[in-house]
Amino acid sequence: MDVENVTALHQAPIASLQGRFSSIRTTLLSQILGRIGSGIIVLWAAITLSFISLHVAPGDIVSLLIGEQIRTPAIEAAIRAEWGLDEPLIKQYLSYLWRVLHGDFGRSYVLQTDVATLVLSQIWPTLKLTGAALVVAVVFAVVSAVATAGLRWPRRIAGGMELVLVSTPSFWLGIVLLFVFSFTLKLFPVAGDRNFAALVLPALSLGLSLGAVIGQVLREGLERALEEPFALTVRSWGANALTLRLRHGLRHAALPAVTLTGWLIGNLLSGAVITEQVFGRPGLGKITVDAVLGKDLPVVLAVAILSAFIYVVLSTLVDTLYLLLDPRLRART
Amino acid sequence: MVTRRAFIGGVSVLVVSTMIGQQSAYTQETVTPVSGGSLVWGVETEPSTLNPHLNGQAKAKLILRNVYESLLARTADGGYVPWLATDYKISDEGTTYTFTLRDDVTFSDGEKLDAAAVALNFTKLKEPTYSGSISAGHVSHVVEALAPDPRTLILKLDSVYSPFLDGAASLEIISPKGFDSKQLKSGGPEIAGTGPFILDRYVKGQEIHLVKNPAYNWAPENAGHQGPAYLDEVTYRFLPESAVRTGALASGQVDVIEGISGNDAAVFKDDPEFSYQSAINTGTPYTLYLNVTRGPTVEVKVRKAVLASIDVAKVIDSVYRGERTRAWGVLTPADTDFYDKSIEGSYGYDPKLANDLLDDAGWTKRDADGFRTKDGARLSIEIVQAQATLRDQRDVLLQALQAQARQNAGIDLALNYVDAGTYVDRQKNGEYGAVPNSTTTQENAVTIYFHYLPRSLGGSINYSRTEAPEVLAWLKEAASTLDHAQRSRIYNRLQRFAILEQAYGLPLYVPEDQIAAAVNVRGVKFRPFKHLPENAYDIWVER
Repeated sequence: MDVENVTALHQAPIASLQGRFSSIRTTLLSQILGRIGSGIIVLWAAITLSFISLHVAPGDIVSLLIGEQIRTPAIEAAIRAEWGLDEPLIKQYLSYLWRVLHGDFGRSYVLQTDVATLVLSQIWPTLKLTGAALVVAVVFAVVSAVATAGLRWPRRIAGGMELVLVSTPSFWLGIVLLFVFSFTLKLFPVAGDRNFAALVLPALSLGLSLGAVIGQVLREGLERALEEPFALTVRSWGANALTLRLRHGLRHAALPAVTLTGWLIGNLLSGAVITEQVFGRPGLGKITVDAVLGKDLPVVLAVAILSAFIYVVLSTLVDTLYLLLDPRLRART
Repeated sequence: MVTRRAFIGGVSVLVVSTMIGQQSAYTQETVTPVSGGSLVWGVETEPSTLNPHLNGQAKAKLILRNVYESLLARTADGGYVPWLATDYKISDEGTTYTFTLRDDVTFSDGEKLDAAAVALNFTKLKEPTYSGSISAGHVSHVVEALAPDPRTLILKLDSVYSPFLDGAASLEIISPKGFDSKQLKSGGPEIAGTGPFILDRYVKGQEIHLVKNPAYNWAPENAGHQGPAYLDEVTYRFLPESAVRTGALASGQVDVIEGISGNDAAVFKDDPEFSYQSAINTGTPYTLYLNVTRGPTVEVKVRKAVLASIDVAKVIDSVYRGERTRAWGVLTPADTDFYDKSIEGSYGYDPKLANDLLDDAGWTKRDADGFRTKDGARLSIEIVQAQATLRDQRDVLLQALQAQARQNAGIDLALNYVDAGTYVDRQKNGEYGAVPNSTTTQENAVTIYFHYLPRSLGGSINYSRTEAPEVLAWLKEAASTLDHAQRSRIYNRLQRFAILEQAYGLPLYVPEDQIAAAVNVRGVKFRPFKHLPENAYDIWVER
């Protein structure tokens, strides 16, 4: 065999791989352009719906700001004037949109700080937490599904464990994890967003129940895939059971699990509230709850914009993942 | 022309020492304090703002008092001692207050504390655009704040207002530079104070970090020591979950915690590795206020029947396992300015009386569920409780009240837990049968004032919604005399009227604060008069 042949042999798969990526790239580009368009609409809808629902909810903003403190017409007027609440609602709405377009998210009524700074300072701890929880969830799901799919007793045990995890409130799971690993064994610190060790327990308490849900779906998919004719073919090549499961079965089983994961990440963001509270972590969760209860409109709107943005990015990512996982989808576009 | 008041409280003194229950596993006298080291304190409540003028949370004071200080400090017996001011005078007619300031005090941003700086604090607070509702408080009585020389501050009032000294003496003074800062309303490191610690870093949702002010040398006369603080740095970490605070202290991850649940108290009480102390709060007890303007509670007989139908002592004892004190009056026993003990035992559980009163009032029939009815309508009182202020097992307590009222007198106490917005609306429109609530700071009867002042005149926490003319007359009379004995008589009269004669509310129990600390942490204590946890100035760590 001469040298040229060797290179040719090696180039062929590379070329085909490049072709595969470029086809993904063009699909991606049109996808992304479409996404930006629909993303803007989603953002606008999020702002508008939050604005309306907060104004429809009981309690007017001025009363909530004053609370049970002394209330006089002069004080009410000062508060209205400070936040522009004396303007008609439609004007408040339009001027908010205008300011957002210019990157001005306003100031928190309650915390009296710049909302953009506030949200930015809290987004990173929340992203770290949800990101770590997602890793926990995916690792747990894949390990549990691959190790137990199709095996009678292991799958029953894993299924039972998953059921327990899904039905355990994350508040309670957090306290138990803290009690065992922080208060008794002293392996991890309790509070704050300081180092990696401080992230482990919150990520587990938030991620495990999610992992359990995904694990169940993944196992079912995997079991279905393993019964399909291709599984027999792969086995006839002499591949061992683990290779079959990891390289071939998982890919077939992944589609519904990926869809579910994308959808469940939204739950991670809302579940973060409780985890942050239990572990004394900074983050968007508590800020959002307080803002909604206190009708702190600028904060609520900024969080709504941010979550809508995250959803748009995530669903784009999930769709792109489909393309990578399933060649049939690439061909169609 | 001018009366000089001695720095000894001309105030009736109740026994205070019994109210602060100290349980320490060590004897403090035998060791000398050492300087240095750091401390981590797990706290329940994160301040909504770090500006001490604008923060109304009693639970935030223990943090903010490290950084911001006031003109006078209060002693356990209710007197005043020098702090940033060395002396004060009130003119004969009672409308001019003159404070003499120390001349060696500087803010941590380098500004000097002088009369002009303090005067600026008072004039700024009068602006509703800066301070909102606080502008209608004490400072609304100030016509002029003058600084004739750097050490003399003169405050001129529009009329005699008796709670003013307490309010003015306890106002936290911030540096004049702070008023130009962008951080003014949210508070932060740019808002300097004169305190023994300096605000170094605030991580929202996580912690507040303070460092020692090495130049500090102006502690109040009744502090545990003079000169700079012992600790080099203090971190207040926010741990909103009670079980997590307990675990964090027990496992040595924090040195001190506050807010310990009744069930966890024993963990620290019985362990020699920890110290535990508690103090009942000042202010008003947790009280079930009955709405006099709406529903069956309009009738005084029904209100009195509610009071007589519930065995408060038994309920409190069983819900809190003997860890809480039953309340009797419009103030808690810790509110030493005006608490009148004679109310104790003067009324109480009497099911026969409750039933007679209801029969008299025409609630004679019973429906299928055993509740009393009149003209086909059930004797139902809706208790509206804000979800946000539901703590300290109060949901269990309210359920116990509900069971008692039903069992003993056929009264239906309907519980309704609502969100903040609904609560505000219900308050505004008076749409409730009863509201349970407590306030937790001692403000020289200011709290009585706003609990019984008509809503239309600013009585923002007038939950019973009484507009009785005699009450209004008493409130005005008491506020406009500086004669303490006279004020006491008036508030005692008001208390008997509000509880015995009118049954505006049923006092339930006295809320309290708890602190637990590792045994090597010394000098942790409650403030002498206001009964809130003290700052970290006198705390030191034994090594």
